[in-house]
Amino acid sequence: MSRKKNVRMPSGEVVPVVPDKLDPELFTVVGRNTARMESISRPSLTFWQDAWRRFKKNKPAFIGMILLALYIILAIFAPMLSKYSYTAMDAANRNAGPSLVHWLGCDDTGRDIWVRMWMGARVSLTVGFFAAFINAVVGAILGGLCGYYGGALDMIMMRIVDVLYGIPSLIITILVMVVVGRGVHTLIIAMCIIGWIGSCRFTRGEVYRLKNQDYVAAAKVLGVRDFIIIVRHIIPNIMGMLVTNLCMAIPGAIFQEAFLSYIGLGIAPPNCSWGILAKEGIKLLRVAPHQVLFTAFFICTTMLSLTMIGDGLRDAFDPRLRGTE
Amino acid sequence: MKSTRRFAAGAMAILMAASMAAVASPSTAVASESSSAASSAAASSAASESSGNKLFRFATSTEPTTLDPTKGNSVADNEVQRAITEGLVRTIDGEINPACAEKWEVSDDQLTYTFHLRDGLKWSDGKDLTSKDFLYAFQRLIAPETASPYAWICSTAGIQNADDCMSGAKKPEELGVTAPDDSTVVITLSNPTPYFLSLLGSSTVFCPVRQDVVEQYGTDFAATADKNVYSGPFVLSSSENQVLVYEKNPNYWNPDAVHFDRVEENIVADASTQLAMYESGDLDYVSIPLEQTQNYIDSDEHGSYENGNDDFMYINSGSEDQPLLQDANFRLALNYAIDHENYIALATDDVYKAATTFVLPEVSGTNGKTYGEQYGDKLHAFPKNGDADKAKEYLKKAMDAAGITDPSSIVLNVTCTDNQDEKKIIEVVQQMWAETLGIDVEIKQITYAEKYSTVYPQHDYEVGYGGWSPDYSDPYTYLELFRGDNPNNYSNYHNDEYDKKLATTVTETDPDKRLATLAECENMLLDDGAVVPLQFREQHYLMKKNVTGIKFSLGAVNFDWCFGDITA
Amino acid sequence: MGKYIVKRVIAAVITLLVLITVVFFLVRLMPGEPFTSEKLNPIVKENMIKYYGFDKPLIVQYFQYLGNLLHGNLGYSMKFTNKTVNYIIGSTFPYSADLGLRALAIALAFGLLLGILAALNRGNKLDVFCVILAIIGTSIPDFIMGAFLQLVFGIKLKWLPVAQYTDFKHTILPSLSLAFYTMASVSRTMRASMLEVVQQDYIKTARAKGLSNLRITWKHQIRNAIMPVITIMGPTVAAVLTGTFVIESMYAVPGMGKYYVDSTNNNDYSMILGMTVFYGAFLIFCNLLVDILYGVVDPRVRVGK
Repeated sequence: MSRKKNVRMPSGEVVPVVPDKLDPELFTVVGRNTARMESISRPSLTFWQDAWRRFKKNKPAFIGMILLALYIILAIFAPMLSKYSYTAMDAANRNAGPSLVHWLGCDDTGRDIWVRMWMGARVSLTVGFFAAFINAVVGAILGGLCGYYGGALDMIMMRIVDVLYGIPSLIITILVMVVVGRGVHTLIIAMCIIGWIGSCRFTRGEVYRLKNQDYVAAAKVLGVRDFIIIVRHIIPNIMGMLVTNLCMAIPGAIFQEAFLSYIGLGIAPPNCSWGILAKEGIKLLRVAPHQVLFTAFFICTTMLSLTMIGDGLRDAFDPRLRGTE
Repeated sequence: MKSTRRFAAGAMAILMAASMAAVASPSTAVASESSSAASSAAASSAASESSGNKLFRFATSTEPTTLDPTKGNSVADNEVQRAITEGLVRTIDGEINPACAEKWEVSDDQLTYTFHLRDGLKWSDGKDLTSKDFLYAFQRLIAPETASPYAWICSTAGIQNADDCMSGAKKPEELGVTAPDDSTVVITLSNPTPYFLSLLGSSTVFCPVRQDVVEQYGTDFAATADKNVYSGPFVLSSSENQVLVYEKNPNYWNPDAVHFDRVEENIVADASTQLAMYESGDLDYVSIPLEQTQNYIDSDEHGSYENGNDDFMYINSGSEDQPLLQDANFRLALNYAIDHENYIALATDDVYKAATTFVLPEVSGTNGKTYGEQYGDKLHAFPKNGDADKAKEYLKKAMDAAGITDPSSIVLNVTCTDNQDEKKIIEVVQQMWAETLGIDVEIKQITYAEKYSTVYPQHDYEVGYGGWSPDYSDPYTYLELFRGDNPNNYSNYHNDEYDKKLATTVTETDPDKRLATLAECENMLLDDGAVVPLQFREQHYLMKKNVTGIKFSLGAVNFDWCFGDITA
Repeated sequence: MGKYIVKRVIAAVITLLVLITVVFFLVRLMPGEPFTSEKLNPIVKENMIKYYGFDKPLIVQYFQYLGNLLHGNLGYSMKFTNKTVNYIIGSTFPYSADLGLRALAIALAFGLLLGILAALNRGNKLDVFCVILAIIGTSIPDFIMGAFLQLVFGIKLKWLPVAQYTDFKHTILPSLSLAFYTMASVSRTMRASMLEVVQQDYIKTARAKGLSNLRITWKHQIRNAIMPVITIMGPTVAAVLTGTFVIESMYAVPGMGKYYVDSTNNNDYSMILGMTVFYGAFLIFCNLLVDILYGVVDPRVRVGK
């Protein structure tokens, strides 16, 4: 079967090629281009640069990021711009539904929910991100070490994990509060003391799975240092799982905060958080369901955007997708 | 690609079935265990239904802390014991009725009460109930080894030597209770206590206990329904799985007064769940949670009663962290800044009654009238809508005295625990104080466990929520809270004049004079702004139309169903 | 493997002892005391302190506790004064475990199924549906999910009983409410893990060898992808089986959850310790099981080496 192809000449001229008959006239000697022969046609990208490049091209992830940014901006500015204060009560507007005046309605003491929602977002987003992020980083490092080295280190660390997991978290929080006082920082510290355990065990399990893979063995044989193996070969391979895990840890942190605030260990009223709004709202489920529905909506959409970002990151970090679109 | 999906789906179906099967086996094992418990409960319910058909079901949110009558510690405990024990007298709907004691005499100095027991009193196991059982109950209550949390009530009742016996300085036998013969109980008081009979009739810690049963089970006495014998209108037939089952006591002295054949008390922590259970027909009586009350107020099954709970703000009048609190003017400023009507709307959804005085007006006065009916208009009540100008005036005076010029430089710390109702109360009060007085009010959170065990007794707070449920129907139970040497004087209030005046009411034998002095005492508190009264609780409930004879009262027993009936 | 298990069991006993010791002393540092009531009298409090032996030196109390523990005696609760902790755990655990097992069965079956289907159908409608379900599941907390299910199916539609735990019908709503979160997190983890596996070379090899899709999914993908799910199941199983405060109180299930939270709120020392011992032992066992399962599922994995 004969194939017909056109050949583009260096001059830009397109010449039809007839395989049977090749005219030497068609060719010119261009000589050596020493400048170009050693260059790489695509820009050299580090792992992280490539990841960012791929992340930017992921539409859902980008939408997620915009939504999240919007929420953060609203959390900062919405309470400032509203004419209502988050503490001002109004007996006439108790449990009022959404209206043009009170966009999301009012709570059972007539406080504007729109303002409280974004005041709450300040606390919840801070606690959620901080706690989840610190936990993920600390947990991933410790878990990575345990899984990679195994043996006595793993045995001891995992027993510490068992003990920490076994202590009721309430007791830890109460004691942290006794030591450092009350406030958002207490919540974050208390949640970090036990929060890293989940991601630690998780990373450890993943590292156990991966460390006997051929490419790790290959790296070892080549004499690559352990630290480099963990950072360059193992972590990128479990990054997707880690990010998924992190995304699930954020709502966990938000509701942990609500639970702690509710038993008198979190932020003091009249400050609020999404968790507190949800807890107060659920009591009114049969009287004024809008309170809990709005709160759930904002929590869910935050999670949705986080998930989309997480999925984007997962793909971006996937070493097997390197260099692809 | 299509085929991939189809195969994958098939694989998943198999996986799912496998995982179901894998988990199913342990699941059924445990299920059979618990279902056997459930089926035995069902069997016993079937048995009781055959014996009678008047079944009454209700729910309670607090689990009783104990089934031992002597160690009862709360209204919930008392309400359980009320059905299964019978004291010397029984307070029903505020009236004192003969119970185990058929009649009694009071000496002229009101210090000696002689009770004569009925003939033929029997325990649920058929043995005779005698004065020895009462004597044992009193001595067991007061003995330090028993460590009954309510032992102090003997002292409140004014029983001779109560404090010394409680601390172990005297032997329990030296308590002012004797049993000269099998059918007589004599109680000697150290001072005339006008509310003695009312206390005796409503506190079940005074109910008889059988020595041989206590000794048989030791520390496991009354741990479960079968480890005790009963003297009341009902016996407890089961206490398993968060359901207390009461059945008619055949040996009760007055069986004709008891109509229910079986009563089931479900311990359901969640108030909305209780309401849902009532609506789906699983209950005959339910308390309505505050936030849903307005929805049911027009229902023909709706009712309400005052349970005697008085909510207020404690002010630490001796606070060193906030010296302004030592100034009556500042305390009055806090009081006048509260708009009670607005407060009731915001904090209680217009359900509770605003309190502008401290003592519950519904407590007994004299001559069959309530305290409120007799003295309500003579009390120096705070204005119903507060008085912002007066509040600012008082604040100005207090600031001048302390040399403060800017009200916003005053930081007042309000303690608050995790209790949801408390949190809401405090948020509303905080807002009113901050708005009216322009001071900075900050909420300081504490845990429930430290509130009454360390923070309040050690006066380690500035202002905080307080509630009081009366043990007996008399103003004294409230006013005593501000007596200088009272360990429950959480407000750190020390006023010698007040203490003296209050002390005269203890020895006063003329009830009218006594009540007048008590009213004067309350006025002293109000004038001094010693406390910020907030609300008197009103419990709203739903009850099926065919249930009758249920009594509601304030004090140690709120919900008294013992002699209720179900009409056809 | 046998040697490893023996080593782990010994370690488990030591861990439990450490846990008990830590908690024994930590609870004493908590603010407040176990005897708390607005009507507490100081003399009565003295009597109660003596009754529970708190007047003895702490170290004596500690060894007494350990001594009792060796006899399996967890002591008397301080809040529910005449019940032993053993009795309370013994009478409530069967309910919590029953509810927990039902919830776990639902969560695992549907969680794995959804996760796998989502991964195999990446990017299309089924995947989107699974992801949204998983997001709702992980971002709506149990107290909202439980209340909604109760409102819709119990109160409005009246299809199922609203509360209590007596027969099969009564178990449906609480187990669904409890299962939701675990189901969502299992499906998310499984999906993410499957996506990793699908791209591995050995899957391509298997496909090149001409293995059927069913066989590839079953033998190669699921088996390799399930490990992260096993990891998260360890603590989850322990937590779910030993009772959950919110769901149990919402559906009036006579389980353990309420005592776990109440005991801390009331500083009920013996109950906190009893619950910790029980839960701790359970947790340590579950984590041991997880580590053993690693090796069973993937023979290349040798935990502890």
